[in-house]
Amino acid sequence: MNLYMGKMLVVDLSAESVTTEPLRAEWLREYWGAWGLALRYYTDAVSPEIDPLAPENVVVIMTAPLCGTLVPLASRMCLVSKSPHTGTIFESNVGGSFGPELKYAGYDGIIIKGRAASPVFLKIDDDRVSIESAEHMTGQGIFETEKLMEAAIGAHGAKTLAIGPAAENMITYSMIGSESYRQFGRGGTGALFGSKNLKGVVCRGTGGVRVADMPRFLERTDHFTKNDLLCDDNLWAKTDGTPILVEVTNEMGIHPTRNYTKGFNGRKERLNSDAIQAAKLGNRACASCPMACGKFTRVNSAEIEGPEYETLCLGGSNCEIHDLEAVIRFNRLCDDLGLDTMTCGSTISLAMEMTENGVHDFNLRFGQVEEYLKVVYEIATLSTERGRDLAKGAKHLAAKYGAEELSMEVKGLEMPAYEPRGNFGMGIAYATSERGACHLRAFPIFATDPHDIDALVSDVVDAQNANSIKWSLGFCDFWGTVNTSIEADLMSAGLGEPVSAEELDRAGERIWTLSRLFNLAAGFTAADDTLPKKIMERPLEGGRHAGRVFSRADLARAMQSYYELRDWSAKGIPSSRKLAALGLETTTL
Amino acid sequence: MKKELFANPDLCTGCNRCTLACSANKEGVFQPSKARMRVTNFPLRGFSVPNICFQCPKANCLEACPTDAMFRGADGVVRLNRDLCSGCGACVSACPYGMVEQDAKGIPFKCDLCDGDPACAKECHSEALVHVAGDAALFQLKAAQMKTRHNSGTPLEKRHKIAEALKRNSRG
Repeated sequence: MNLYMGKMLVVDLSAESVTTEPLRAEWLREYWGAWGLALRYYTDAVSPEIDPLAPENVVVIMTAPLCGTLVPLASRMCLVSKSPHTGTIFESNVGGSFGPELKYAGYDGIIIKGRAASPVFLKIDDDRVSIESAEHMTGQGIFETEKLMEAAIGAHGAKTLAIGPAAENMITYSMIGSESYRQFGRGGTGALFGSKNLKGVVCRGTGGVRVADMPRFLERTDHFTKNDLLCDDNLWAKTDGTPILVEVTNEMGIHPTRNYTKGFNGRKERLNSDAIQAAKLGNRACASCPMACGKFTRVNSAEIEGPEYETLCLGGSNCEIHDLEAVIRFNRLCDDLGLDTMTCGSTISLAMEMTENGVHDFNLRFGQVEEYLKVVYEIATLSTERGRDLAKGAKHLAAKYGAEELSMEVKGLEMPAYEPRGNFGMGIAYATSERGACHLRAFPIFATDPHDIDALVSDVVDAQNANSIKWSLGFCDFWGTVNTSIEADLMSAGLGEPVSAEELDRAGERIWTLSRLFNLAAGFTAADDTLPKKIMERPLEGGRHAGRVFSRADLARAMQSYYELRDWSAKGIPSSRKLAALGLETTTL
Repeated sequence: MKKELFANPDLCTGCNRCTLACSANKEGVFQPSKARMRVTNFPLRGFSVPNICFQCPKANCLEACPTDAMFRGADGVVRLNRDLCSGCGACVSACPYGMVEQDAKGIPFKCDLCDGDPACAKECHSEALVHVAGDAALFQLKAAQMKTRHNSGTPLEKRHKIAEALKRNSRG
C-alpha cells in the first residue's frame, strides 16, 4: 500500500494476545488517519456509556498517512478513547518519532483492550511483538522507564511510550510520555494505560513507507516546504517556538495571571522568549520537521526541552511563579512523574487562590516556589492529603470545598493559557470543543475584533472543521498556513490517486460531528457547552481588556449562532439533514 | 577547493530529514534503516549526532575487502562494485564508525555522497550537515569526530558509542 502500512496491531491484555488485522480500507476515504480513523475504530469498538477506566474500554493509537515521510510537520500520532478526566470522547496527539517508528515496524496503529493481570509493557520489534513483564519498572518515572524499555529491546534509539507513577495511580490528568519531553498530554491518557496495567510500549521498526511516485512526491513536498511552510507566517516556530506567545498574549491582554484573575503579567520578562533564548542549549525537532520549535534549556542544574508556552503561563504566570528555573523544575517533575503540566499548573493555581481567599489552607500561595514544587510529587504519588485533593483536578477540588466559582475548566478540562474575557473566540472554542476547554480545535486569538461574536463563531466553526482533518492527516498545529488544498495535493502524490480539498473539508466536518454524537450519547447536553463562572461573572483585571466579562447573555447568543451555523438544533443536536450530508445517518454508536 | 560533508552535532535537532532524504534517494522508499548516514538521538539530554561516513583517506572498509569490491573513485569517494562483492561482511566489521551495513542479501551499503551532491545536506535546515569546502573550524570538528574509533560491536553500537562520547563533551 502507498502511505499506509495496511495493518493494525490488536493487543488484548486480558487474553495476553497480540494479533494483527488488515486496516479497514472502507474507512480510509472518510476518516483518513490519526484522529479521524482512531475515532472511527473507537466508536466501532465501545459504547459511549463505557467507564473509561474499565478493562472493557479500548485505547486506539493511530498514525497518519504522511507520517514517516519527508512531508514536514505531518508525523503526529493520535490517541483516541473516552477520557477519565472529562468523560467525553478524547483525542490527544504527540509529536516526536514514535509514530514513524511504528509505521517502519509495519503498523498504522495499535488497538489496546483489556487489562493485564500484572504490570506489563508491549515490545514491538518489527513483526516480533510480545507482552513483557514490567514488574521491575513499577513506580519508576518516565525517564527511567524509557531507559529500561530501550534496554529490553536491546537497541539504542528504540522509540517509547511510557507512564510514570501518576498514571499507575490512575490520576485522571496523568499523561503518556514519549522521548522524554513529548506527551499525549491531556485528558488522562496515562490513567488509561495505568488502568490496563500497561507501563509502556517500546518500538523498533526497520521497514519503510512507500509512495506512489517518489520523484513527484519529493517535488511536491519540496515545493510546499519552500513556498508555504518556510514563510514569514510560520517562521516564529523556528526562531522562538511557543515562548513567543508570552509577549503576544500579554500585549493582547489575554495572558492568564493569578488563577485567571488578570490578563497581564507585569513580570513576564522572567518567562518570555528572551529568557528562554538566554537559557537555550539547542533546538529540538520532531521527526521530519525543519522548524525545530523545541528549545532545550538549562538554568543551573535544571534542564529540559521547553518549557513551552502553556507551561510558562499555567505553571508560571498563573501561579505567579516568575522564576524560569522553578518553572523548568516544575515542568521536569511533571514530565517524569507523568502529569499534564496544564491541568497540574491550573489545579495548583486554584489551590493557591483557595488558600489566599481563606477557603481552605493548602499551604500553597501565589509566588511561593518551594511548596509549589513539593506538591507536584505529592499529587503524583498521592502521598499527602493535599496531594490527594489536588490529584482530582480543578473541578472536583473546587467542588469538594464549595469554591466552584474559582474552578477554571469546561467539561472538567482545565482551560489553556488564553483568557476568554479578552478574546470571546477562545471562549467559544473552549465551550464547544469535544474534549472540554482546548486551544487546539480553534485558535482565534488573532481575530480583528476579539469581541465580535458572529464573526468569531464563524471562525471557530471553520477552524474546528479544518483542524479535524489536519490532525487526522497528522499535521502539526505549527504549519499554520497549511490548508486542505495543500493536504490534498500531497495526499494525491503519495497515494497515486486523486484526492480533493472538498472531500477533506467534508471529512473534517464529519469527524467533528461524530465526536459530538458520541458526547451526546455519553450524556452531555447543550448545558455543558459553557464557560467557568469566573469568566462569566468576574471582570478581568489588568491588561487591555480590564473590566470585561464574557456574560451569560453573550455566551447564549454565541451558542445559538454556533448551533445554527452547524445546522444543529437549539439543543445542540446535529440535524438529520446534516448527518445525511456527511454520510453519518447510519453510523450507530 | 574540494567540497566535503561535515557534521556538527551541536546544531543537529534530531529531525532525521537527512535519513529520509537519503533513503528516498537511494532506495526509493522512506526508510531510515537503509540510509547511508544516521542520526543518534539522546532526547533526554536534548542532543543528537549525525553519524556520517568520512570517506577516510586510509579507509578500513576498503583495506579489509578481500575481493577489491570496495574501491576509491577519482573523486576520493569510497564505493562498492557489487559485481565483485562476495557478501562476506569484512567491510562492516572493519569500519570503526559503524557506517557500512549489509542489506538482507548481504550486500553492503555505504555513503557515496550522491555523486557530489548529497541529498542529506540539502535537506538539513539547521546546518548540522553541510557539504562545503571546509574551513579550519570544520576540519577541527571532523578530526575530533574521527578520533573516536570502535573496532567491536554492531554498526549501531559503534555509532551509539561515538555519539555518547560527543554528547559527554557537549552536554557534560
